[in-house]
Amino acid sequence: MYSLKSFIIVALVCTSLTVSSLDTARLLVSKQVLNKLLVQDSDILVKYTIYNVGSVPATNVILQDSGFPAEAFATVKGNLNIRFNRIPSGANVTHAVVIKPLTYGRFNFSAAVVQYKSSENAEEPQFAISSEPGEGYIISYAEYDKKFSPHLLDWFAFAVMSLPAVVAPFMLWWVSKSKYELILKQKREKVSKD
Amino acid sequence: MGKKDKSAESLFTKEEEQLLSDFSRNVSTKSSALFYGSAFMVSALPIWLYWRIHMIEMMPALLWFILVTLGSTYLIAFAYKNTKFILKHKIAIKREEAVTREITRKYADDKKISKKEKDEKALFQKNDVADYEATAFSIFYNNALFLVIVVLLSFYLLKGFSTTANYIFSVGIASGLIALFSTGTQ
Repeated sequence: MYSLKSFIIVALVCTSLTVSSLDTARLLVSKQVLNKLLVQDSDILVKYTIYNVGSVPATNVILQDSGFPAEAFATVKGNLNIRFNRIPSGANVTHAVVIKPLTYGRFNFSAAVVQYKSSENAEEPQFAISSEPGEGYIISYAEYDKKFSPHLLDWFAFAVMSLPAVVAPFMLWWVSKSKYELILKQKREKVSKD
Repeated sequence: MGKKDKSAESLFTKEEEQLLSDFSRNVSTKSSALFYGSAFMVSALPIWLYWRIHMIEMMPALLWFILVTLGSTYLIAFAYKNTKFILKHKIAIKREEAVTREITRKYADDKKISKKEKDEKALFQKNDVADYEATAFSIFYNNALFLVIVVLLSFYLLKGFSTTANYIFSVGIASGLIALFSTGTQ
């Protein structure tokens, strides 16, 4: 499985190339999936970073990510729709969400959309689209368990079950062997004393 | 057949029969039941490993579980018998002196018993002790070897195989190997 971290491509769709472009806020948005492994029923951390590279603050910034359908993902912590009142010029904002995949298989992590006002006087909202982490493979919990779990309890149970098969016959043999070797030893000691 | 058997039985004395049974590979029904019971138990143990650790799907592999366990039970019981046969003589020679001493000590004050009877008792006792120790050691040795080979094969050598193939080959090779080792004469 390829690393999802490699998908840090920052997208920018806020280029209204007008004369007043120097006096507008311009947002660059990145969306990253931070987990190395995507596992069914286990938490996945998604990080959104919004950079304002414009010369004025961006206001009324609304981040919306509809890329995680409710039938396939549960939100554990955080919000997939969030609003920031203001992102100053040259500043960045980070937002993280913890989600949990309910099924396994291939999944395309698509882009989030950011809507904002590029200047105080702007009437129309500006839209920006984040980078896309791309396609990832969510492995089933059973597959993950098979590959990575130490199965300590299962090995312990196996050892307990193997004990009667190995230790019991060994003990029976050992007890009898010790008994007759002791008789021989006593005899030899007696002979050497005599 | 019955008559022939009876006449054949009468040809040997008790000691001679004892001697014959010492050198025979045949085992009593009781020993046989013990061997097959133990072999079945140890043959079925790897199923746990495959179910819990290799996470094999139980239902599709059920037929393989039954076939491989039965085959392995036969091979392990075969290994028990051969190992026991080889060990029994070695143990009998080792224990002879100690057993004779034990019998002499036991009947030291009993004047009713003749020397011949004492010798007879020692012979039977030696046979029993050798049989018991050889049986116990044979079960221990083959079980331990089987389990070690199964674990090594399934988790190291045959790791890349599909789970069902891994099960079939690991248990099949392990039981085949211990059956083969048991046919050695040393």
